[in-house]
Amino acid sequence: MAPKLEAIGISKRYPGGTLANDAVDVTIYPGEVHAIVGENGAGKSTLMKILFGTEQPTSGTIELDGRPVVFANTRAAIDAGIGMVFQHFSLVPSFSVYENVVFGSEPRAGIAFDRKRAIAEVRGLSEKFRLHVDPLAKVSSLPVGQQQRVEILKALYRDARILILDEPTAVLAPQEVEELFVAVRALVAEGRSVIFIAHKLPEVLAISDRITVMRAGKTVAELQTKDVTEHALATMMVGRDVALRVDRSKADHAGCVCTVSNVSIRNDQGTEQCTDLNLKIHSGEIVGVVGVEGNGQAELFDAIAGLLAVTAGEMTLDGKNLLQMSVLERREAGLAHIPQDRLASGLAAGASLAENMVATKLGDGRFVRRGLLNLNAIAVFARSLIDRFAIRAAGPHAAAATLSGGNMQKVVVARELAELPRLLLVSQPTRGVDLGATEFIWRAITSARDAGTAVLLSSADLHELLALSDRLVVFYRGRIVAAFVNADDLSQETLGTYMLGLKSQTVQDMQAALR
Amino acid sequence: MNVGTQSRMAAIYTETSRVLFALLIALSLAFVVILIISEDPGAAIKALLKGPLSSTRTVGLWIDEAAKLTMAGLAFALVFQARQFSMGAQGQVLIGGFFAGAVALSPLGATWVGMPLAVLAAMITGAAYGFIPGYAKAKLGANEIVSSLMLNYIALNAVSYFVKAFYAPRGELKSAQFPPTSSFPALIPNTRIDLGLIIAVLSVIGVWFALYRTSWGLKLRLVGHNPQFARYSGIKANFIMVSAMTTSGAIAGLLGAMIVQGKAFGNLAVAFEGYLSFEGILIAIVARNHPIAVPFVAFFYGYLRQGAALMGIRTDVPTEVVAVVQAIIILLAASSFSVPGKKLVRKLFNRSETNGSKIASEGQQK
Repeated sequence: MAPKLEAIGISKRYPGGTLANDAVDVTIYPGEVHAIVGENGAGKSTLMKILFGTEQPTSGTIELDGRPVVFANTRAAIDAGIGMVFQHFSLVPSFSVYENVVFGSEPRAGIAFDRKRAIAEVRGLSEKFRLHVDPLAKVSSLPVGQQQRVEILKALYRDARILILDEPTAVLAPQEVEELFVAVRALVAEGRSVIFIAHKLPEVLAISDRITVMRAGKTVAELQTKDVTEHALATMMVGRDVALRVDRSKADHAGCVCTVSNVSIRNDQGTEQCTDLNLKIHSGEIVGVVGVEGNGQAELFDAIAGLLAVTAGEMTLDGKNLLQMSVLERREAGLAHIPQDRLASGLAAGASLAENMVATKLGDGRFVRRGLLNLNAIAVFARSLIDRFAIRAAGPHAAAATLSGGNMQKVVVARELAELPRLLLVSQPTRGVDLGATEFIWRAITSARDAGTAVLLSSADLHELLALSDRLVVFYRGRIVAAFVNADDLSQETLGTYMLGLKSQTVQDMQAALR
Repeated sequence: MNVGTQSRMAAIYTETSRVLFALLIALSLAFVVILIISEDPGAAIKALLKGPLSSTRTVGLWIDEAAKLTMAGLAFALVFQARQFSMGAQGQVLIGGFFAGAVALSPLGATWVGMPLAVLAAMITGAAYGFIPGYAKAKLGANEIVSSLMLNYIALNAVSYFVKAFYAPRGELKSAQFPPTSSFPALIPNTRIDLGLIIAVLSVIGVWFALYRTSWGLKLRLVGHNPQFARYSGIKANFIMVSAMTTSGAIAGLLGAMIVQGKAFGNLAVAFEGYLSFEGILIAIVARNHPIAVPFVAFFYGYLRQGAALMGIRTDVPTEVVAVVQAIIILLAASSFSVPGKKLVRKLFNRSETNGSKIASEGQQK
């Protein structure tokens, strides 16, 4: 079979000198799902930007149907039949679905916008490819999974023969992933090609026909999916053997560290985000918080951390009333917090490593005495953390911004786990993190747990939650609708039905796992 | 030398070469303008470049101005480090200077407490005037740029009214001279170099110490770097914000005292501030808000201002030409250009050798 799209020897050097792509070769055949896997910074996104015309390669050629092509801009790529769905959607929220789909290439009747035809065409496309979505609905009213369908429809409306999906499953619940896969299969059955970029290897193995593995800007392998295992793939991506296995806690739940009783939370706009939450976290266990994003998990975490006020209810840490305490007092009482967006809210990029590491400890007599900084003690402390967590940096006085992304993550983890916390809040520990760093963060969390820390973990990745948690609670519309003691027979699908609100447990069932 | 100091030295080196390069471009453009408009461009350029060194008196003018520019630069650098864009230094200088003058002209001014009391009054009232936009932002969410600029107008008009109504003799725009007990003594006789220079040096050290050696300073800088992170760390961002603006107000108030009590005035005059405060913005920007860099920038810039003033007096080129220099320096210093050197040369050669990769190298320049 002749390849549909071929990238030959693509290199891309950025002005700073970074070689993002180094002689990359990729061949896409018609009618296949081609997965591209690799760690962060492996050059996947750069390659996709080049194929979609948003970036120009420094050298190398792209061939479409055997003829060399140059995509000077996105328009040229779209006209050549390439469509791309980015992780962050580019939709107009206040427009309806069909308006978003046809936007920019509307069907016309004379000079007027032919709405009837637009609606009919969008409906036709969505039925043909089993991308079910109401063409007349407003985009802002749709859940994320359906917005993604709108993006795909947009590409198909422009007759994309090659569809690039950039980490499409990151925002979806398991059932939605299955629906997406149905649509993807319908596309390839028609002879179209799908380029599927992903982190989660089980999904890659489930959907793709062939896989290209990238590492450090190079293509290291092009394989048939049926010939590889998850472990082999992970090893190829990282370049060394990785063990993403964690032992369950052996702890006997020594005692309750944190209680959340009847807590309700309103956001700044006054809408209730959490309603009547009850939860206990014990020493030496990880409690996983399951839920589609935006169902109140983030608000609960912020409230415990002291960043958001509680409208009703009580929270305690080691028997002390948390609600009366400032952020600093909570931290002194043993609370640590690894926030969701570590680079945006967990660091000051312009400040030095040492300053970042003591920022949360400015009430500590070791570092501040009578309002004066003890620079020596701070530098010694920073150096010890740099050694202990193997942070690659020029020294304690280097600006945080000079570190690589993975090392910046380590700075946050190092600061929060410098002393063993009583209660550790962790949100999306491995979002946007490559396998090597995932391994590191998982190990940091579990070793804190083994030493007796109570951990509350929230993640969009069910695989991660099931791997780490001892107990799980499911959030739906700001309420806890189910609770489980983690066991090997607990499946992602079971959690999914509760996440989507299709089912909820009885109070008795929940009590059993809420302890 | 350890790695930290080494990288710091490298940073100082690149920053300094950037600024000097900006100055070079700005001066050459100013020369072009002078060549076009002047009958005797040689004399004008000479006055601009060598004027401030022509006599002890002019050297005094230069040093005095540099000391005042340093204070203005410090006031802005402090709020800028907390990423608060308070523009209220002008108002704070006026208020501080006015109250310093009021103390100096009161019966207390003729006693030995006159001078320290006047300075203290200036700092307290300047701080209070700086506190207002900070508090309004913390409590009411009022934008500090707007409120501080408006407060400048209030101060400008109120101070000139009170000076004219209560202190200046009828028909005049300034009060009687302060008693010697309330005026700054000259450090070098017959020049304007006075106690203000010492105050400026102490202020530089004080601001540096506060920012880099106290926990308040670290908190302030963290709020400036990333307010979200500061909140997450348990730093009371509102307190830091208000206290930064208040402290900056105290420095500006002190500048007010330096102006009215110094050799330049020694009396309470209408509009004594002379729009000097706003020059602090340029100095803070070029100094990258670092207090130790502020006096160096102030000395260079003060020289340029004096040179331009002398050029305006002695030749046919108006002082305003220096505004060209000022604008270009701000433009270049605020943008993140890098000094062209080997890279540019290499790029130029590459371009002529391989025309094929033209698109690629153009893409790189972005």
